Amino acid sequence: MFRGRGSMTPLGSIAGAVLAATPWRLERRLEVDAKRAALTRIGGAVGAMVVVGILLLLTGRNAFWIFWQALDAIFGRQRGIEGVALRAIPILMTALGVALSLRMKVWNIGSDGQFLMGALAAVGVGIHMGGPGWLVLIVMAVAATLAGAAWMLVPALARAYWDVNEIITTLLLNFVALQLVTWSALGFWRDKEAAVIQSTREVAHTLPGLPGAESVTIALLFPLVIAAALWWVFRSTTIGYEIDTIGGNARAAGFAGVAVRRRILVVMLFTGAIAGLGGMLQLSAPGAQAMNAGFSAQFGLSGFIVAALAGASFWGVIGGGVFIASMFYAGIVLQTKGLSVYIIFAIYGAILTGIALGEIAARYRMVRRRADAGAEAPGPPGASEPSEAWGPSAPAAAAEVLEAGS
Amino acid sequence: MILAIIENAFLSLIGSAIPASAVVMLAATGAMLGERVGVLNLGQEGLIGIGAVYSVIAVLSWGVESPWLAMLIGMIAAAAAGLIFAVCVVAFRASQVLVGLALALGGIGLSNQLGTNRNGTPIQTLFREVNPGGVLDDNDLVSAFLFHDPVVYLAYIGLPVVLWFVLFRTRHGMNMRAVGENPAAADAVGVSVTGWRIFYSVLGAALTGAGGAYMVLSFTPTWSPDIARGRGWVALAVVIFAGWRPGWAVAGALLYGSMISLDTTAQARGWGLPFMGASDLSFFLSMLPYVVTLVAILIPAGAVKLGRRVRSTAAPAALAIPYSREER
Amino acid sequence: MSWSEVHALVGENGAGKTTLCNILAGIYRADAGRVIVDGAERDFRSPAHAIDAGIGMVHQHFRLVEPMTVAENIHLGWPETPGVVSQRALNERAERFMGEMGLHVDPTARIWQLSVGEQQRVEILRVLARGARVLILDEPTAVLTAQEAEELFAVVRELAAGGLSVIFITHKLREVLAVSDRLTVLRHGVREITRPTEGATAGEIARLMTGEERVLHVEHRTVTGDPALEVRGVSALNDRGITALHDLDLTVRSGEIVGIAGVSGNGQTELAEVISALRGLESGSITVDGAEVASLSVRAVTDLGVGHIPEDRIGMGMVASAPVKDNAVLHSYWTPQFSRGLALNRQSVIDFAKRLVAEARVQTRSVFATAGQLSGGNQQRLVARREALVADRLLVAAHPTRGLDVNAAQEVRSTILDKRDSGCAVLLISDDLDEVLLMSDRIAVIYEGRIMGVFDAADADRERIGLLMGGHSITGAVA
Repeated sequence: MFRGRGSMTPLGSIAGAVLAATPWRLERRLEVDAKRAALTRIGGAVGAMVVVGILLLLTGRNAFWIFWQALDAIFGRQRGIEGVALRAIPILMTALGVALSLRMKVWNIGSDGQFLMGALAAVGVGIHMGGPGWLVLIVMAVAATLAGAAWMLVPALARAYWDVNEIITTLLLNFVALQLVTWSALGFWRDKEAAVIQSTREVAHTLPGLPGAESVTIALLFPLVIAAALWWVFRSTTIGYEIDTIGGNARAAGFAGVAVRRRILVVMLFTGAIAGLGGMLQLSAPGAQAMNAGFSAQFGLSGFIVAALAGASFWGVIGGGVFIASMFYAGIVLQTKGLSVYIIFAIYGAILTGIALGEIAARYRMVRRRADAGAEAPGPPGASEPSEAWGPSAPAAAAEVLEAGS
Repeated sequence: MILAIIENAFLSLIGSAIPASAVVMLAATGAMLGERVGVLNLGQEGLIGIGAVYSVIAVLSWGVESPWLAMLIGMIAAAAAGLIFAVCVVAFRASQVLVGLALALGGIGLSNQLGTNRNGTPIQTLFREVNPGGVLDDNDLVSAFLFHDPVVYLAYIGLPVVLWFVLFRTRHGMNMRAVGENPAAADAVGVSVTGWRIFYSVLGAALTGAGGAYMVLSFTPTWSPDIARGRGWVALAVVIFAGWRPGWAVAGALLYGSMISLDTTAQARGWGLPFMGASDLSFFLSMLPYVVTLVAILIPAGAVKLGRRVRSTAAPAALAIPYSREER
Repeated sequence: MSWSEVHALVGENGAGKTTLCNILAGIYRADAGRVIVDGAERDFRSPAHAIDAGIGMVHQHFRLVEPMTVAENIHLGWPETPGVVSQRALNERAERFMGEMGLHVDPTARIWQLSVGEQQRVEILRVLARGARVLILDEPTAVLTAQEAEELFAVVRELAAGGLSVIFITHKLREVLAVSDRLTVLRHGVREITRPTEGATAGEIARLMTGEERVLHVEHRTVTGDPALEVRGVSALNDRGITALHDLDLTVRSGEIVGIAGVSGNGQTELAEVISALRGLESGSITVDGAEVASLSVRAVTDLGVGHIPEDRIGMGMVASAPVKDNAVLHSYWTPQFSRGLALNRQSVIDFAKRLVAEARVQTRSVFATAGQLSGGNQQRLVARREALVADRLLVAAHPTRGLDVNAAQEVRSTILDKRDSGCAVLLISDDLDEVLLMSDRIAVIYEGRIMGVFDAADADRERIGLLMGGHSITGAVA
């Protein structure tokens, strides 16, 4: 049934030979500068979108034209720009949380859950608490922040002290959070007067609007301030230095006396807190003051892609967030052109693949195997050193290396 | 008397859990296959969708009349997606986490886009339940426990036994494990790490696709949006719970399945608790499968931390680490 | 090279010995040149091709699957392994085979339970099992005791007598002369000479290897000052939870180098780690200048003036993905020199890093380049100098010159000697007995977590130390 060598497995041998058979091979660059990596990531993302566009073309939809129209619809008028800004707020908040965890090489895939729990806590406070609006809003924000962090507690403890991978644990909690929100909207906090749309009761207060804007509130300032704060922390504090060290090499961090496990715990709770606060910000926008099962339109996933695109640079998150928020808004426009809402997931998938490949492209380059074909820069240690001359062949020479054509 | 009630409750719970988590079982086996050779495919959720939607298309649009053929088509579609994934992460060494998530997203997106026009259309081409000559009454609990589609037997008995045998009783399986534990060692003795990693990721993706196909060809049986509903993620958790051992995946899958059937049974019978109405209880129970799965992941790690060294529950040492012969 | 000969391939680290053999074994592909086996040109695209051609390599870092058994490892990837096998069948096959070869290891043991010497035997068995006709041994004695090495030499000569060709890579001249029939010297990737071993002298080979003679003169001294480091009755576990240090006593005084001689894996790593508070104690006490280390944090121990050049430089001593400047302050970023409260002074970090790079002669484009871009030697120089600056009172140096070429090694040794001369206590851990003998004022021999004996440099006897390293107690050892 099975043969001994991998090369004997039919499909395996074909696949394995794809690269091995060519005179090309991937070679690691000695230097990867951040700029090149950012460029290749963006290149990968854009390339992926082009591929999706071509696929759509093949199915008879001129995605490029539709997309152009969508962009025009966005940036041609204030409503479009505000629409992007409104979507950018939750996406940026979840993205900042994920970017912070990525600095430590922790994958927080559960920002959707933390976002929902933050919003849920905010609704709970908002519909039950009396008093002046500003006070209610502040308590809502605090409750949301704590709830987001609390939702991260089990994955964070498990990761920090039991070395349980956080990807699956954070993700499973997304489903729990979604069920809990559904329960709240259809069950314990249901607005019994609204018959058609099933949601929780509405919070009476909203954040003050930005001057000159119709629908965007000061919530937009939060991600900007948080991004600036995080940038500063990582640029000029020992805490940022320690987190980066853990991300780079946790053993070296331990060697340097960093309390690695405790740091991981605290930072993971912070990432949850940021996403949770994002939930409150979303909830406090005019017209979004109640929760229903569709409250988070997968903002966490969008945020994850933004963080991956930005490569955990906080200013990159802002740029990437605006880009993805535009995509998101364009996707809503696209729905009116005969594409389902799900197409945005497919595009996300393609973009993420493009980012992952772009990241590799920055680190590697294709090099021909033989020095005579393209004598390029040095390769991995030793590999490119010319083969040494060795041994005059004794009479009964059995194995020898001959000197290259010199 | 009480024993009989408990026995009945247990049989009915497990009886309906078995088909409910056959998908999870198939996806978990598929994921385990890849992970044993060191490839972590987080895209199970998407692969279930792709397998399901292409089986639906095969039946509804291409007029395929055999459920087996429809399932095969679903498997091939999932395998194709798995091949893209495998080439990205094995040949090009892209991040398995990123591309895996991309596959999850892309698979969900693609399958729902393709399924849009087929929502709720009942599927007639179904797997037939194995029931030897109606020996037992259809409503009998024992028959609910014992008699299922042939796919279910394959998922719970056939696959785990075959996988266990291959992994631990053949030369081939020994080499597979070596690829997952120490690819440099496998490479040094002439095992093609790249080839096998690609081969088994693709085969694993096909198995997960079979899980999706089973959903629409037997379990639901119709296409509905977002068909996997987290089963792909649960399958990944089950692999961890099982400690990468095929037999233990059965326990993990059934644990999840019985939580699902507890929820459906409670809803169907309108169960309530003194302090919780029927509808609230049902909301609560619908969170339970995920909570229980989460706790299950913590068990092996906790057992190690609390001093009971369980070495064989450790993940393959090279899991999710790209291999390159010329770098170490 | 011809059949039935033992051919020594000698050269300094970085001379290209391992690279050449990796090409022969199919790990790397040559950029140019040809490999000829039995008169036919071969191009090894993978290790499988090399194995088919009868070339088998035992790597310096073993390629064994730790959680699997000895029998499984021997049968790994071997086409002659039966398709369907049970553990028992594998064990029986392995035992039969060991009998034929005259090399024995418990086939049911898992690799991680074995000593390094036993693991090496598994590697050799595995290569021989595949009918290798050319056996390549890459630095095979680096991890062996003197006695184990002697046994290996005997095995090698026996195999050669049986018709096998053996390529023996080493940089130890004594071994070249002891085991080989012919030798080839490599320097900077170029062959210097190939000649019969008979009649060659160590001095001649050494000159060919290095191109120049540079001898470090070290004056040993006897110090009677206060102890800077006192280790009393210390026991500690290793990562697997097995006792690695047994009731160990050791004293290092200010201004002296105490060398720990021993074969890797006898508790040296754990000893270095308990002193730096990176590992907890089961019992006993460690004091630096009278302060109890066990009650202090890693940081507090560092603040006492304890520097540590860790054995695993890349895995533990630095962050490859971080810039050189961040690595320069890894062990001191919290000190007032660089930070006030939580604020880290970027400029002072950069200035310090530039100075460090210049002093340690680290070749780098800038201090903003990542440490991973540095060559191994430069990484090592960076870490060694950084730790030397941290160490006011005590420097723990674990294998500080491993993997370095002669010149880089001499620089690191000079750094360590300078530390000693400035009154710092130095604990030097090395599995290179020559280095320990060269550098140390006193020598302590470690075996299985116990100190077997302590000698002054003046009465250090290579033979006796070698025996103690292998666990042979001898009467008359000065405790």
